[in-house]
Amino acid sequence: MDYLFQQLINGLTLGGVYALVALGYTMVYGIISLINFAHGEIFAAGGYLGVILLSYMASQGLMDSHPWFGLAFALILAMGYCAMLAMAVEKVAYKPLRSSSRLSVLLSALGMSIFLQNGLMLTQGVYDKAYPTEFTHGGFEWLGVRVSFMQIGILAVTGLLLVLLNALVFKTRIGKAMRATSQDKVMSALVGIHSDKVISTTFAIGAALAAAAGIMVGLYYGSVRYDMGFVPGIKAFAAAVLGGIGNITGAMIGGLIIGMVEILAAAYIPHGGEYKDVFAFVILIGVLYFMPTGIMGENVDDTRV
Amino acid sequence: MKEGGLRTMKARSIILALVAVCLMAGTATAATLKIGSLSPLTGSYAADGNDIANGTRAAIAAIEKDGGIPGFDKIELFAEDDACDPRQAVAAANKLVNEKVVGVVGAYCSSATIPASEALAEADIPMLTPASTSEKVTERGLPYMFRVCGRDDDQSIAAMKFIKDVQKAKTIYIVDDKTTYSQGLADNVEKLAAKEGVKVIAHDHVNQGDKDFSAVLTKIKDAKPDVLYMSLQNSASGALMLIQAKRTGVTAAIIGQDAVYHPQLMEIAKDAAEGMYLTFGYIDETTPSYKKFQAAYEKFGKPGAYSAYAYDAAYSLLSAIKAAKSTDPAKIKAELVKTEMQGASKKIKFEANGESGSNYIIRVVKDGQFANFWDPQTGKKY
Repeated sequence: MDYLFQQLINGLTLGGVYALVALGYTMVYGIISLINFAHGEIFAAGGYLGVILLSYMASQGLMDSHPWFGLAFALILAMGYCAMLAMAVEKVAYKPLRSSSRLSVLLSALGMSIFLQNGLMLTQGVYDKAYPTEFTHGGFEWLGVRVSFMQIGILAVTGLLLVLLNALVFKTRIGKAMRATSQDKVMSALVGIHSDKVISTTFAIGAALAAAAGIMVGLYYGSVRYDMGFVPGIKAFAAAVLGGIGNITGAMIGGLIIGMVEILAAAYIPHGGEYKDVFAFVILIGVLYFMPTGIMGENVDDTRV
Repeated sequence: MKEGGLRTMKARSIILALVAVCLMAGTATAATLKIGSLSPLTGSYAADGNDIANGTRAAIAAIEKDGGIPGFDKIELFAEDDACDPRQAVAAANKLVNEKVVGVVGAYCSSATIPASEALAEADIPMLTPASTSEKVTERGLPYMFRVCGRDDDQSIAAMKFIKDVQKAKTIYIVDDKTTYSQGLADNVEKLAAKEGVKVIAHDHVNQGDKDFSAVLTKIKDAKPDVLYMSLQNSASGALMLIQAKRTGVTAAIIGQDAVYHPQLMEIAKDAAEGMYLTFGYIDETTPSYKKFQAAYEKFGKPGAYSAYAYDAAYSLLSAIKAAKSTDPAKIKAELVKTEMQGASKKIKFEANGESGSNYIIRVVKDGQFANFWDPQTGKKY
């Protein structure tokens, strides 16, 4: 039984990370019907910024005295930077194509993904960068299940960010504006919602979440590499589709499901570990075939003007 | 209508200049000896791949310092990137064939070396691999395929001897990442374990490039083997597995192979790497050849695991070209087979099938550094 619990904790941790990245995909699709392929690279950029900031702080001795404060500081800075990066990407690559066909902006997103990944490779080098992980060690045994502090940390930060996002989207004015714009862009512009600002905000929030996920992945696994954003990006996209594209709650649930399925398949199905990537994509194909609107129903602007 | 056209002074001088440049370009390349290197310069294996390219450059520098090769003004290296991907390796090999290189040092991953060697064999270009240890590399009967490092059947024998004689293990759990090299080694170890009476609890697989091993490590923790044989393609993945193994609470002794022998392992895994064993060739750092290699390699930084092997591969190739006084592959092969020298990494003597022998020892990670631990030939600890 504790084997199952252990694997469930592993699955929750991984699922939390996928959920954070999936949120960025789902919010952007909900608002401008674009699959933002460059989102995975924002996740990678967040991971890199985290290692740069944390290594600097470690060299100044800050990580020995106040590790959690240093981590929070790095998180906030990285989230802010990636938010600005995503807004810049939107202004440069997506906004000019807003009146063009969906295919053009999709190609632009793919191109941006290649550009950002290679930019990371050229500026940060081809090698893995190690995270200063001295303060992340340790854990405790509970009923035969070994939970590490890092896993608790990831679950806590993920949970906190998801709660904050929910509060933002459903309880604030800007959240209402985001929901209105994703429901009907033309109409919300007519009632005085500044659609450009709302779109930029959406990109920024999605990117901030992905950056947080990037740092936590870097800390949890110990290293980052310039191409780390590609596969998690695709899996997070599958998670967003599974939950219902455009639906925030759906993205959270989709992420958790995909993470769980990956880990449990590796744990219980013979040879499941080799094919765990396959499961995410089989789910994606299955959902698109049998239930295209996803588990929680999709949430896109399908009005015709 | 413009007057003159091609008959003006200006037009004529431009044409003359172009012709002159073409002639000069022709003469400039006439006396350059071209050799190639094939290794993963990007991707997960970039650390080792760049070590191989730099080792080759160091050998070129050393040979040029000793007077170069008569008949050639300079030696030019074409360093191609295979990213440890079989398709890219073939494309890069074809690029080298088009450049008409006289020999190639590479590759790193056996899964890239094997397809690339077929492409190079069609053009009869000698290939010396400094790092691909799969037996299949030399067992295909290619006439110009040589190997400077050891091979996996010897490596698995050394590992199994250590597991049985020193660790006195009764049970073993094997994990590999399904690449030609890793799975080949893991399969060998599994067969040897059965022969030696060590129980193989399970032989699991992960994917190349996976980051999350928590599921399989939880399985391993539950199974409680005496030894975990970790066969992964590179040090970055190995480091990730070590970190997660420690976190999950795996208590088995962890034994790796030569692919994870790189300082990057300790950089990423830090204290999770402490106490890990692995098999790697024995390199005597007191020989004059090693010192010469160190001096030539200085400007590239600290030598990695395969820098010395790549240096020896390139050095043997260039020495053979020098002795053969020609770039004809058959003559180069004749000289290579006659080669008998103390290289930076080991004694270089090529058999007819291209092998140069293995000399694996067990190393251990102690205090954040690799240290020699046990010699399977003598059975003695260092």
